[in-house]
This record gives sequence, C-alpha cells and structure tokens, in this order.
Amino acid sequence: MFRALLVTCLTLLVAVAAWFSFGQPRPQADFVYANPAGINTLDPAQLSWLQDIRVSLNIWEGLTTYDPQTLEPMEGVANFPPETTEDGLTYVFHLRPEARWSNGDPVTSEDFVRAWRRVIEPGTALDYATFVTDFVVGAKEYYDWRNQTVAMLAEGGDADDREANYVRTGSPRSQERAGSPRSQAASRAAVLRAHADETERRWAEVGIKATDTLTLTVRLRRPCAYFLSLTAFATLVPIHESIELLRERHDGLPINEQGLVVYDPQWTKPDYHAHGYRGLVTNGPYFVKEWTFKDHMLLEANPHYWDRAALGVQTIDIISYGDINSTIMGYEQGDLDCLLDMTVAYDHELTRLAQGGEREDFHVPIVLGSYFYNYNCRDAEVLGRKNPFVDARVRKAFSLAIDKKLLVENVVRNANPPSNHLIPPGMIPGYSSPAGLDFDPAEARRLLSEAGYPGGAGLPPIEVLYNTGFKHDRVCQVLARMWEQHLGARVELRGKETKTFADDKQKHNFMIARAAWYADYVDPTTFLDICVTGNGNNDSGYSNPAYDELLRHASRENDAVRRMELLSRAEAILIQEDFPNLPIYTYTNLMAIKPYVSGIYLNPRLHVSFKHIRIQKELPIADLPWTRPHRVQGCRFPIGAGSESEIGNRQSEIALQVR
Amino acid sequence: MTVRLLKRLFAGLLTLLCIYALTFLLVINTPGNPFQMSDRNMPAEVIAALNARYHMDQPWRYFYEYLAGAIRLDFGPSFQHKEWTCGQILAQALPVSIVLGFLAMLIAVLVGVPAGVISAVRRNGWFDVTTLGLVLIGISLPTFVTGSVLLLTFAVWLGIAPIGGWGRMAHLPLPALALSLPFMAYITRLTRVGMLDVLSSDFVRTGLAKGLTPRRVIWTHAFKVAFLPVLSYLGPASAQAMTGSFVVEKVFSVPGLGQHFVDSALNLDRGMILSTVLVFAAILIAFNLAVDLLYAVVDPRIREAA
Repeated sequence: MFRALLVTCLTLLVAVAAWFSFGQPRPQADFVYANPAGINTLDPAQLSWLQDIRVSLNIWEGLTTYDPQTLEPMEGVANFPPETTEDGLTYVFHLRPEARWSNGDPVTSEDFVRAWRRVIEPGTALDYATFVTDFVVGAKEYYDWRNQTVAMLAEGGDADDREANYVRTGSPRSQERAGSPRSQAASRAAVLRAHADETERRWAEVGIKATDTLTLTVRLRRPCAYFLSLTAFATLVPIHESIELLRERHDGLPINEQGLVVYDPQWTKPDYHAHGYRGLVTNGPYFVKEWTFKDHMLLEANPHYWDRAALGVQTIDIISYGDINSTIMGYEQGDLDCLLDMTVAYDHELTRLAQGGEREDFHVPIVLGSYFYNYNCRDAEVLGRKNPFVDARVRKAFSLAIDKKLLVENVVRNANPPSNHLIPPGMIPGYSSPAGLDFDPAEARRLLSEAGYPGGAGLPPIEVLYNTGFKHDRVCQVLARMWEQHLGARVELRGKETKTFADDKQKHNFMIARAAWYADYVDPTTFLDICVTGNGNNDSGYSNPAYDELLRHASRENDAVRRMELLSRAEAILIQEDFPNLPIYTYTNLMAIKPYVSGIYLNPRLHVSFKHIRIQKELPIADLPWTRPHRVQGCRFPIGAGSESEIGNRQSEIALQVR
Repeated sequence: MTVRLLKRLFAGLLTLLCIYALTFLLVINTPGNPFQMSDRNMPAEVIAALNARYHMDQPWRYFYEYLAGAIRLDFGPSFQHKEWTCGQILAQALPVSIVLGFLAMLIAVLVGVPAGVISAVRRNGWFDVTTLGLVLIGISLPTFVTGSVLLLTFAVWLGIAPIGGWGRMAHLPLPALALSLPFMAYITRLTRVGMLDVLSSDFVRTGLAKGLTPRRVIWTHAFKVAFLPVLSYLGPASAQAMTGSFVVEKVFSVPGLGQHFVDSALNLDRGMILSTVLVFAAILIAFNLAVDLLYAVVDPRIREAA
C-alpha cells in the first residue's frame, strides 16, 4: 500500500517536471523593467493609469511627441510645427509620408479622425474625453447630444415612446417619420437607423477633418497655448483601420443595439484574430509582440518606424510584479534594469539612501502631482446633516491648523515637499505661484470663533473619508490629531476600501475626503479646472463665479504672460481665501535605474521614451560618468536631492571629466 | 454503486448552483461602481451606458446569461480588464496553479506521511519531538514568512534559485515547497494520530503475535487504516492547493489563480468573482467526489456497505 503510494507520487513528480521542462523559456530582452500591478489597457480612449500611458506613448505616436527631457512638444507623425492661422484657432497638420504602421501600411489622416472620434463616443469615452470636447469646435455639442440620445435609447418603454423621446432631442429627420404607423420592431429599427444617420451628420460638424490622406485640419473653439502638448498625449494617437472589422453592428448599421459605437474590446491584443482582424497594429517606435495577463508584455522595435535608426534597444520586456519586495530583490540580483515605482512599506529608508547619495541608482524626482484633501462645500441639504464647511472661514481655519512640514517629515518621509498650493510650485515654466499660507494655529482659532465655533464648540463631528492603504491611514490620524489639538474639533475617520470610497465621494457623502491630482499636461489649468463650477472632477462642489470668470478670461487671453498672471490670480483665490481643498504635499516618485542605463530622464510626469534608452553594460561604469542616468541634465525642474547650485557643480564636474 | 455516484453527482451540481446564487446575491449587492477605474469621476451617462452593456441594470438577466454561459464554459468579459474574458484569464492562470498545487501536494504527501508514521512508531523519541516542533512552525507561520525566508536563503544568499517568475524548471521548487508546508504539517499530524490509533488496535497485536515483522505490520497492515483520515483531507486540500495561493503567488511572482480571488473582489470585478468562485467550488466538489470513490477502493467496509 505504502509502496504503491510512493511509486505513484514519484512517477507523477517526474511526469510534471518533464512536462514542464518542455516549455520554451523566454529569451532575455535588451531592456527589462517592472511595473506595479499589470498593464490595464492599451486602448488609447480608455487610458487612465500611468503605466498604461507610459507604454502607449511608446507603441503609438501622435501628431507630435514629447521631448524626453523637457516634455516640450516636438515632431511626431506630423511635420513640426504645423501650419496655424493667425488667431490660433486652426491647425493644419501635414503627416510625414514615410510614417508607417507596424504592418507596413502608411499612416493616414483618417486614422487620426477615427481615433479622436472614439475618444468622445459614449461607448468608448473615458477620463480624457475632455482633451477633445474642451478644445475642438463642435465636439462638446456632439458629445453631449450623443450621451443624451444614447441614454434615451436605453430607457424603458415601447418604441414609440423612444421615438417621441428622440424627437425631443431635436432631430428634424425623425420628426418627419414620427407620425407614420409601423410595427414596434420596425419602429425601433427605424429609430436606430435615423439615429445612426443623424450621428454621422452631427459628426460632420465637429472640427476634425481629413482634408486629404496626409493632411489633418483641426479647428479649435478657443486658442489653446498647449494644444501641441495635448496632441502628443497617448489619448490622441491614431488607430489603424483594421479595428473597423471588430465594430459592433446592429442590422448593418455602424452602431450597436444601444446606439453606441463600440468595438470588440480585445482589439488591443497582439494575438487576437477574429472576423479577419490580425491583431494589434501600432505606429510607434515599438509594437507589442506578446502580452500575457498580469504577467509580462514584450515589445519589439517596429521595423517600419520612420525614425528606426534612432532606436537604442530592440526588445523591451515589461514585467508585472506581484510583490514589490521580491521585485526589489530581483532588481538587486540584476534580473531587472529598471524599477519605475518602489512604493513599499520601507520606502522612506530607500529614499534616505537615495538622498544621502549612498545609492546612486535610486532617484526621487518630484512629480507634477498634488496630494490634498477636499472640503465638501455643498450645503447641509446635499450632505443630509450639518456641514460647517459651507463657510469658507471654517475651511481656512482647518487648513491653517495643519502643520504640513511636521506631517511630511515624520509620517510620509518620502522627500515630499510640503505644499500650500494646489499647483506644485516652481514646476510649470512661466507660471509663478501666488504666496501660500503657512501653519498658523492662532489665526485658525480666530477664524473658527469668527465663524461661530469658538474653541470648536458647536462643531458637529468632522467626518474624514479616505481610502485605506498607501499611508493614507497614518496621514489621516495625524490630521485628526492636529484638528483636535488646535481647533478642539471632534474628528471621526472613515477609512474605506477604494471602490466604496469612490462611491461615497461621487455621492458627495463626506465632509473632508482624500484626493490627488496628477497633471495631464504641463499647464496650470490641468489643476485649476477641477475647481470650476460643474467640472466632472470638482469633488468639493466648490463654486465661485469670480474664479470661473478668471479662468474663462484666461482661456480667451492670447498673451502668454498675461494668461499666466490671470491663472495665478485664480489660484490665489483657492489657496488664500476660499480653500475648497487642503493641499498637503507634492508627490515624489522613488525609482531605481541601473547605472549602465542612460536616456531615462526624470521628468515630472514620469514619461519614459523607450526610443532614447541606451544600454552600455560592457564598459566599466566608474570610468564613464556620462552613462549614468541623466538625473540632472535636461531636467529643468528641481530634483529631490541637492540644491540647484550643487546640481550646477555636478554638471560642470561631469563636463570636465568627459573632456 | 452507480446509483450512489449519480446521487452524489446530482447533490454536487445542486451545491454548485446554490453557491452560484449566493455569490451572485453578495456580488450584486456589494456597494461601489465596478466600472470605476481611477481617482477620476466618470460621467453618469458613461456609467449608465456601461451598466446597460454589461446588463447590470437587469440583474436577473445577468444571472441567467452568466449561468447559461458558464455551462458552456464561456464566463463572459472581465469588468475590470475589458480586454480579457474571464475564460482567457482562467485558461492562463489555472494550469499554472494546478501544476504548482499538484507538486505541492506531492511534496506534502511524500514528506508528511513517512514523517507521521515514524513519529507515531517512535513515539516521544527525538524524531517525534523534532517533527512536532517543525509541524508547529509549518502550521503557525504564515506563507508570506516562510516564502520570504526560502527566497532569501535559496535565491539571495545561496543564489541557486531565481527570485521569482514562471516558465523554467528552476521556477518550480521554491514556490511548491512554500505552498506545501502547511499541508505537509497537517498531513504529518493526521498520519501520526491515525497511526497511534491503529497501533493500539487488536489486529496489530495479532499480527505481531503471529510473528510478522514490525515493519510489515506497520507499513502493510496498519498504514492502510491510518491513511484513511489523510485521504479524506487530501480532497479539500488538493482543491485548495490547485486553485492557487494569493500569498505564494505574490511572493514568488507566479501568474496563478490565487491572486484573482483577491484582486477581483477588490476591483469588484463581478464576472471574475463569479468565475473564480465557481471554478474553486467545482474543483472542490469534484475532488471530494474523487476521494469518496477512492475510499470505496481502499476501504472494504465501505465497498461492502455499498
């Protein structure tokens, strides 16, 4: 009996091992880096996560691209700079004829029209739909109309009701048809058909036009100083025409049963073959060769890329790590060339090593993102209970009662600069931040009693909503303690899991809620817009006509200097008077890059241009200072460690050695 | 026998259906928007369109459609990772977990059973005491500790194993060992207790009195009976091991199924939660059924009763 068991087990063991050894091991790529979690999506219209955007920017290429050091726009698929009209409202992009997709097809202006339309179609639109709706003529109207009509098509009731609804949306075509009798199914089909026709008609009014195969004309609703930065972003890249094979069609119409323009979501996979579709085709320096779920993604140089000679590495392996500790061990062992995010329980220790110069390969760049808390500015009726934060004086008092320096240096400990600003100061060229207000408990107490809560008397329990994890718990505990100590407030912490946190936030069910904002483009408006009345991300529900007017004024201002002044005045309203939010610190990012890797620039948006990466493993590194990652050169923004004069010295030192 | 088997099969399917219904109710009533991806807010219209697309506005329709699909092994799309269907994710992760779990169970049985028998025979000897200590460690130390220690020892200090990953032979031993430890400890204890029980029974004494060698009595006669509790434990244990362990997969970067149990719940990925739960339940029921059948083979009393 025992022998039988033993023999069975051993046989099986050998069998498993033998079977497993037949698997082909992956060849080593030229450059290997690790990502927290995995790549979520590669659909340009659905991008939201930094790691996805990073990859997308390297497999696709927009009309313009980012300079890897300064993030200034530079040439991409289109010749640079494009033709513009005097008023700055019309851009004519001439695509380079040698631009190719990874299957060899030429990149055409239609590919851009197709992609940009997906960005604002209700079936595919997500976070960055505003990149098109805010700027392009007719896009906002189209987007709103589509959302409205799609919602109506989805509503219950019989087809005639829907048709009646549809008529109310103001389409002349269906008004003519509304009276004629027909069966319900036929009526539904007719409604959809009319809707599809009307959709095409309205799309024709949007200011994105393929004038010919290599010319794209974009008309803007208002001048936009940073429009060429937007066109470099991964949301506005082109999409190959083969995606049309995967479009959901109802009854031969270009829309599906719900009236949406949607595609089989699997189109972004390199090995997806269906209905004649031959897998993902991209037009950037690299293409996706292999993608396994939450495991790894292999990129290979695009053989048809127009600037192929500039590519330093031919293959790139992106590993999704499960556990950050093991990944750091892997980096130390030499399995990885680069680790772009080291959020770990002991990251303050790693930060200390990086700052003390003990680890030359660890870097802590400051990034263009703010960590802050939102006050709920809505009145008690919305919240369902007494809300003291309707009063700006209370918001200001609570803001002044926080000692951010203490908090950042003792609790967060990741070299984050404490911040009194919504927009990280000194990081946007040409923009000078207004003066922020520092920790001032006496003034805070005075303001609070002026608002009718002397010594905190009469304040309801203050509820602080946050999502658990990532040190938020500890930060919240300190905030609560400071408010109790300096203002006499009673604070209740409500830590929630991320999804329920987001739910509560969207239902405005909070007094104070944790928030964060990363810049989408290098301009103050990327931050200021979230405080505009009615903005989709205005979680504090803040509304001040004077503030809105300043931003409107700035958007019409053609003079760059005056525009920045107006924006600075707008920020002053937020951080000196109204306090819809409580800024705590500016984000930093702890990363590790092996010394033999160069071409990864520590820019404040953490974009990495794979095209510029160079590997030089063979030579002794100590003799080659210029092969170090460019922690100083090219980054015009202050870097975590060292003052600017130190940086200057180091640069000249390096220059001397090179000579 | 066949009737019994059919009865058990039917009961198993009914259990699976109940598990599905219960999970479905829990999943549908969990607060939060499953389509919320990041910190940013989604327009209400987009959420409505997505709800309609995934039939979240008609829960009962989703209930039937998912069930009908699952019967055909089509588990529908993942809510969080729209580029992947639940079926693709399972197809990628389940084989990994099965190989790893199978290996872990083999190690657990190969080490645990002899250790248990020897400690029962040499009761209170040095081997028994040492094993008891190791078993206590195996059961009480969580896998993220044992896993990390293994990784530090073999991968970092000795440098004879890779840090983690999947795809080569060298990737197998460490995670399999880490995964097997708690099972191994439990099997050791079960074997020891079972063996002690049997060793004091009449037929063992008879066997020894009739002049059989102690070795033959222990390994051939006593072991057969002592192994029965281990056998019934092997059913659920194998199901657990072969559907992956979140911790082992995280520590050793193994792309198995275990992580999806936790991630799908955190992401409120309704399709994926239902898929993982159904797969686990189905495997558990199947293994318990298999153990029951094996019981009939091993134990003549049961065979005759049937």
